[in-house]
Amino acid sequence: MSTNSISATRNRFEDWEEAQEYYLENGLTDGLPVVVPTEARVSAMLEHCGLAPGQVIGVEGIRQKRFTAEKIAINAVMAGCKPEYFPVVVAAVAACCERPFNLHASSVSTNGATILVLVSGPYAQQIGMNSKAGLMGNGNRANATIGRAVNLVKTNFYGSSPQGMDKSTFGQPGKISFCFAEDLEASSWPSIATAKGFPGGVSTVTVFAATSPIQVEVVGGRTPREVLAGPAQGLLAMGPDTPEVLVVISPELMTYIDKADWSREHVQEFLFERSRLPAGEWMAWNRLNRPWEINRPEEMISCVPSPDCFTVVPAGGDATPYADLIASWGSSRSVTKEIQIPR
Amino acid sequence: MTSNSSPIVALDPRDETNQMGAVLALRPSSLDGKTLGLVSNNRPHTDELLQMVADVLREQYTIKGVIELNKERHQWPASPEALQQLATECDVAIHATAE
Repeated sequence: MSTNSISATRNRFEDWEEAQEYYLENGLTDGLPVVVPTEARVSAMLEHCGLAPGQVIGVEGIRQKRFTAEKIAINAVMAGCKPEYFPVVVAAVAACCERPFNLHASSVSTNGATILVLVSGPYAQQIGMNSKAGLMGNGNRANATIGRAVNLVKTNFYGSSPQGMDKSTFGQPGKISFCFAEDLEASSWPSIATAKGFPGGVSTVTVFAATSPIQVEVVGGRTPREVLAGPAQGLLAMGPDTPEVLVVISPELMTYIDKADWSREHVQEFLFERSRLPAGEWMAWNRLNRPWEINRPEEMISCVPSPDCFTVVPAGGDATPYADLIASWGSSRSVTKEIQIPR
Repeated sequence: MTSNSSPIVALDPRDETNQMGAVLALRPSSLDGKTLGLVSNNRPHTDELLQMVADVLREQYTIKGVIELNKERHQWPASPEALQQLATECDVAIHATAE
């Protein structure tokens, strides 16, 4: 099959309604109507990025799935993406195919993790992503459709559909879409992209196998220690076998951290120290996955293995001091990729 | 709207290739003289379950040998080395999970 022409099966429908019913009845949507993926729309997506239809963007190791540009583009069209969002979707799918992300297990687990897409760098602003009030919610096309596209790729192309391969106990709203941008104006810190070693000006996506968020309201306090104590206490709800946590800090909370000149690493260290408990206490709560490996009940165990397992992101509305805590699923590690922006 | 009443040709979002090309391996007619691989995913009681299965098979067949492997973490795939060992040293393999 040529990589230069779209090879996907063409289905003919009498009208829009018939097309919608086909995709809905065949389990090819998230339960909501989709944009009908015509060849013209899919070609526009591919042409924006200069990608050949058959170009392989990533290969997932367990099921040996080869994610081609055309199939990703079809799902991106269905999600409602504009072509300028497509570079973000492509980078996110490529990141999901990296072994540490563990796409197969994370997308079939009873835990119910979804793929969260965090965008860092100037491209987020260029395509109008929301990094401020309501960033994890509704109302922003880029946030909503990029996250939706990645999750449609997972269900439609990879095959992890609810009550099929996906054995989520509860599922979560983020399985429809979970995507937002870092607010570069909310702190003096370097961007997540820079913190992860990418050159200045580069934009990145980071994918997390995300469980449901926990929002923590901070009442009172003026120093970093005071305002971060509540979020640190919230981390205990995640248990001691959490691989990573995305900690989203609202701009008001960030002002206290910035005023005290605390770095991102300082915050990570503080959260690590304050989210530790004796092994015996975790065991008493039945929160330790492998209690038989514990020799000393007094051994202190944090909710994550090391401070750098906290990804601390300034973002959100500026009216209140909140933090949002999003744990990664048990055996997945976040993966960051540069967004290849068409010139 | 005219766009809603015109015929539409739309594309399929699914994976349409059989990329693994996977087919089931031939099943032996008997386990007599065969080497059995037992693959635990390290969840609690998995080892006990596998041993029970192995004991039953030993009663029914003359098993040549048993090779035990532990995947260490149920959420991760077996290592390529472990899979290679199973492929080269075992005639059949049983993978189990328990809780």
